[in-house]
Amino acid sequence: MLKKMNIFQRIFYAFCGEGKARKLRTSIFCILASMVFGGIILLLLGKNPIVAYKSLLQGAGILPKIKYPGRKNQLTDILNLLDYTTPMVFASLAVAVALKCGLFNICVSGTMIFTGILATTLVGYSNLDPFVARILVVIIGIVGGGLLGALIGWLKYRFNMNEVIVSIMLNYIINYIASFVINSRYADPISRESVEIGQNARLTLMNFEAMGLKMNISLLFPFAILVVFLIDFLMKRTKLGFELKSVGTSPLASKYAGMNVKRTMILSMVISGALAGLAGVAYYLGTYGSIQPRVLPALGFDAIAVALLGFITPIGCFFASILVMIFQCGTSYLSSRLGVLREIASLITSILLLFSACAVYFNQKADSYHNKFLMEDKSDE
Amino acid sequence: MNSIINDSMAFALPLFIIAIGGIYCEGSGVINLALEGLLGVGAFFGGLSFAMISTQLGTTTNSMIYLSLIFSMIGGGLFAILYALLAIRFKANQVISGVVINMLSVSLTAFLANQLNYSLFGQASNKFMLAVFPRVTVPFLNKVPVIGAFFNETYVFEYIIIAIALIMWFVLYKTPYGMSVRACGDNPQAVATAGRDVNKIRFSAVIISGIMAGIGGMCFAYSISTNFSPSIYVGYGYLAIAAYIFGNYKIGQTLLACLIFGFARTFGYLIVQALALPSTYSDLALTFPYIVTLVLLIFFSKNFTAPKGLGEVYEKSKR
Repeated sequence: MLKKMNIFQRIFYAFCGEGKARKLRTSIFCILASMVFGGIILLLLGKNPIVAYKSLLQGAGILPKIKYPGRKNQLTDILNLLDYTTPMVFASLAVAVALKCGLFNICVSGTMIFTGILATTLVGYSNLDPFVARILVVIIGIVGGGLLGALIGWLKYRFNMNEVIVSIMLNYIINYIASFVINSRYADPISRESVEIGQNARLTLMNFEAMGLKMNISLLFPFAILVVFLIDFLMKRTKLGFELKSVGTSPLASKYAGMNVKRTMILSMVISGALAGLAGVAYYLGTYGSIQPRVLPALGFDAIAVALLGFITPIGCFFASILVMIFQCGTSYLSSRLGVLREIASLITSILLLFSACAVYFNQKADSYHNKFLMEDKSDE
Repeated sequence: MNSIINDSMAFALPLFIIAIGGIYCEGSGVINLALEGLLGVGAFFGGLSFAMISTQLGTTTNSMIYLSLIFSMIGGGLFAILYALLAIRFKANQVISGVVINMLSVSLTAFLANQLNYSLFGQASNKFMLAVFPRVTVPFLNKVPVIGAFFNETYVFEYIIIAIALIMWFVLYKTPYGMSVRACGDNPQAVATAGRDVNKIRFSAVIISGIMAGIGGMCFAYSISTNFSPSIYVGYGYLAIAAYIFGNYKIGQTLLACLIFGFARTFGYLIVQALALPSTYSDLALTFPYIVTLVLLIFFSKNFTAPKGLGEVYEKSKR
């Protein structure tokens, strides 16, 4: 008696089963599944999910809005999206590089605050030439973040400390110290955040006027694309990249093969930290321009989801970043159009995360279908 | 002096009960970074039940406070089922799924707290107001020097926690069930050979950790802020994890670690008060427990022996 797959199993197998571009198809399956879940929640709230998702895309600049305020149009919305995406690209790459080496860098948020506050206090309020100031900010981001990453890697290796616990403790320590620094010296009495930095150090050109529009142009976005390709090259074509992946798969085997496991682990944390540091300057000195005390940026944690969704590959991280930021950028337009709470976007993002964490299971499940249904097909013939 | 001991215990004991849940979970071989999220969801359920009952009846009584504690246990346990499904049934990476559960619980409780406040109570707020937890003074014992402070004006939940902790200690170390939980962490194949279902035992251990985290979270909500709001996520779950790692996965030593955290926290505040520093310095005081944890971990991490099978998905066919 030959068993047949039912319609749900067929759809599931089409997305997660063997074949070309399996990772991509599984990711798309996760996205669609979380959107279905989000849609059910929206339906329960009495809203039309299709209208909701459409206004999400409109808010992010992918679809044209019905009307725009003066000197804004779809182009400015897209530029805004890219501006918001830039720190996410760096942050998700930071998570991905560490994960490849079997380390879990949850200190991305802390590193972001660390480099953010360093660059803000050292360069943000200075009168340096814009070109010099911006270069300095980026260097501070890379070096500061790299040092912090090195510290975590070193503690992990030297003292056998769990890097997750160390990262979490550092997150809170940095967060409170930064908030102390802001509140005691740099607090803006009205916004209760740090005083906004000068335009000369800002990595985003704010309200840049051209073609009769006022645009926010992220200067780091082209650099982010470059970094994506650099990390991709590092992972696929270099000795270090091979060692990273090897240590991530099996530290013992790598040691046996003569690799320096200690050096590789610390190096991966340095790279990861430097990327997280870049995310920090892109976030605090680019997109926002000020630091909110006592708040760990949620972006640092969302980056874990993004890295997973991108199957821990640099190119995947890039596209996953754009997708997640579409959700987040479109939220305010969505909530003003439909009157739903802003939290719905982060809720859908975390459901998306939940599905992407199960991606390996989905693939296994599809493989078991393969054995159960398709193999029998062949034996019957 | 009295207030130091009281404040420290009111912080250390909820941390302790969360850590006990963590010991069960990790003892059975499942890494549990989800404690942070579980305690938040537990507190959310407790807070919600308290708000609903008190608006229905129009009054607040002590029995409702205890009822909310039970609801927080149920809530934490239910949410732990989700984590157990991910980590055991779906074989997801346990570290990652723990963090995922944390993020989901933060966004879910923030969303639900806003939405339910709006639709049930007609308020635009993300908080559920709670009552003050009753305090008791034990006669005679409170006259004992130093230790007596613990029996003076103590929150009732501290005694509840101690009672539960004793039961949990007994179950883990003196019953067949506790034995198999610990065996699941060290050598799951041996447990399977003995005719027990490894995944079932792990599932139950994860749910126990959710229930314990629920109590702990609710007690934090009562003692620290007397309301439930998303600001409950300040890393106490992670602190509990550090506590039982520091306590080497043993309940007795973990109590010691929790007490260290509790006193470190109180002393941090005291120093700021004693030196009459401006209020901005309280931020520095807040770093104190985390720095103490980090430094202690540096010294003691070498000696730790985690359960051997920790973090490994149990495969029947694996040798």
